[in-house]
Amino acid sequence: MSQNRWLATGNFFTSYKQEQRTFFTHLDRTIFTCFLVLLFGWPLVFEISNKYMLVLDNILIAIVAVMGLNLLLGFAGLISIGHAAFVGIGAYTVASVCQVIGENHVIVTHFWPVLIVCAGIMGAIFGAFVGLPALRLKHLYLAIATLSFQMIFEWFIQFMSFFNQGQTIYVGRAHWFTGQVGRSEHYLFWYYIILIIVVVLGFGVRNLLKTKYGRCLVAVRDNDRAADAMGMNPGLTKVYAFALAGFFAGVAGALHAYLYRGVGFDSFTLHHSVAYLAMAIVGGLGTLNGIFWGPVAIKYLDLQVEQFSELAGHYLTYAPNVATALKPLSFGLVIVLFLMYEPRGIANWWRIVKSYTKLWPFRY
Amino acid sequence: MSYFFQIVVSGIVVGSIYALAALGLVLVYKSSRVANFAHGQIIAAGAFITFFLTVRLGVPIFFSFLASMLITFFLAMSVERIFLRRLIGEPIISVIMVTIGLASIFDGLIYLTPFGSENFSFPTFLPTESIVVGGVSISWTQLVGVIITFVLIGCFSWFFKKSTVGISMRAVSDDQFGAMSVGISVPRVFALAWATAGLSAAAAGCIIGNITGLNFETLHAFGIVVFPVVILGGLDSILGAVVAGIIMGLIQQFASGYLDGNFGLNGTGDVMPYIILLIILLFKPHGLFGIHEIERV
Repeated sequence: MSQNRWLATGNFFTSYKQEQRTFFTHLDRTIFTCFLVLLFGWPLVFEISNKYMLVLDNILIAIVAVMGLNLLLGFAGLISIGHAAFVGIGAYTVASVCQVIGENHVIVTHFWPVLIVCAGIMGAIFGAFVGLPALRLKHLYLAIATLSFQMIFEWFIQFMSFFNQGQTIYVGRAHWFTGQVGRSEHYLFWYYIILIIVVVLGFGVRNLLKTKYGRCLVAVRDNDRAADAMGMNPGLTKVYAFALAGFFAGVAGALHAYLYRGVGFDSFTLHHSVAYLAMAIVGGLGTLNGIFWGPVAIKYLDLQVEQFSELAGHYLTYAPNVATALKPLSFGLVIVLFLMYEPRGIANWWRIVKSYTKLWPFRY
Repeated sequence: MSYFFQIVVSGIVVGSIYALAALGLVLVYKSSRVANFAHGQIIAAGAFITFFLTVRLGVPIFFSFLASMLITFFLAMSVERIFLRRLIGEPIISVIMVTIGLASIFDGLIYLTPFGSENFSFPTFLPTESIVVGGVSISWTQLVGVIITFVLIGCFSWFFKKSTVGISMRAVSDDQFGAMSVGISVPRVFALAWATAGLSAAAAGCIIGNITGLNFETLHAFGIVVFPVVILGGLDSILGAVVAGIIMGLIQQFASGYLDGNFGLNGTGDVMPYIILLIILLFKPHGLFGIHEIERV
């Protein structure tokens, strides 16, 4: 049967090889390539102020972190309310290297890719360790166990004088082949670096889910006893899911440390853990494009609320700081409304649009 | 030695407040299997409503105490009706996240009022000098707070053990289908459980506010600290909540009384509950009095 390689109205796979392809149709590939070209080319064409560049960088870092959380929560079905602590472990890995050998040591400034990978591995080790209770606990109990890990992490950072009691620890400027990355192109430089990391890790996740290990995660999520009966090792899978999530979070943390050129305790609090959860849920749990929609949506909301509260601040003079009030309010409303009316997240809208255009102008 | 007894007394004071705060969480979990992460915010709301009624409107404190309990009763009931009722049967992560989202919404609403960022304290209506017995001192506010707490806990236990509504609530927590088949309206029981939780939260808020002063950060932090308490006691046991509350209060006070400043440690009182929580979860996840129903891999 000759197939239209541009549009497919259904699933016509005849071999496993076909099913393993990254892009099912030419259209998928074209859209993806255009999107990538747009993301890479955008900052070159338009002049973006540092403020918005920072927002973009933040979104990309959040995407890396949420990738891990979505693997854990969406694909493996394990609840974690301590994701910001894992991100913090990545960041504090870089920070502790800075504390030991100095913030402008050549390892920190020149070999930052190595440090980022190290931070990821550190995150994975801690992730596996925190995942150990998952061998015995489920659902709410697991959520509370990770919550307590978050609280212990916060206390530990604030208590250790090695970590400057949670005050900022500075990280030196990174070097590229052309020399030190200057102040003016700092955010642009990290935009490209993080974008590349996001693309690489995104492909990694996509391919992981097609391997035995990825399918193990989904099987354990759906029913761990059935997975056990089919010869998988649910305990190992759970620990390994936590390690994976820790790896992604660790990488995100290291990137955060380099982007802000400093690590402070207040970027890794319980509030941030909840924000990561919200991003994963708003994007859509257990979906790949949800990983990207969630952080974009939540960060965009934050930006809008900030601008709105500047405006509203003129009228609500009795409230001390309107932004501190409106941010949690809007954030909470978005979480609650999404869970009540669109629990499958923004990714579901994308799916609806896609399936509509696939069959257009016909319908059933 | 009087230092030791002083710590025991303050541990019991703190612990009894924990017990009252944990009671609301247990009530909700017991009947509807929802872990309410917004409990701290309801506690704060109850405290601020009492403060507003007493100080701004000049209502006698006893009546404003009752009025705030009544208001949070309906507040929690409407929260259940509007948000949680739709989520019956949804996956647990949705339910947890909705209560976290609700906590965030309440945060925002309270920050919009002047109560969110300032410190207040209740007007003193009890003698200010402390009672000293054998070198151990306890203030009148603490004493009255503890007494009210135990009276309330007694009332709640009576309500659950003897009254028809309480028995129907226990029936629902035991077996929903069984309860339905004997004519109990399960949604109504859920609403009532939330409402009583709101009521106890307001009481806890008022007592905390009287003892430590009103500060939104400290008040809503109680919503997180009660989790170690309820896990220690067992998530669905009222007796467990009371016993574990007092144990946790004692542990916290002993940790900050004996560990802080001794081995280069400080702030151990804040972290001790979570360390204990992890240990309990690893070895005895159903707590001291909880029902064994944890699945294992």
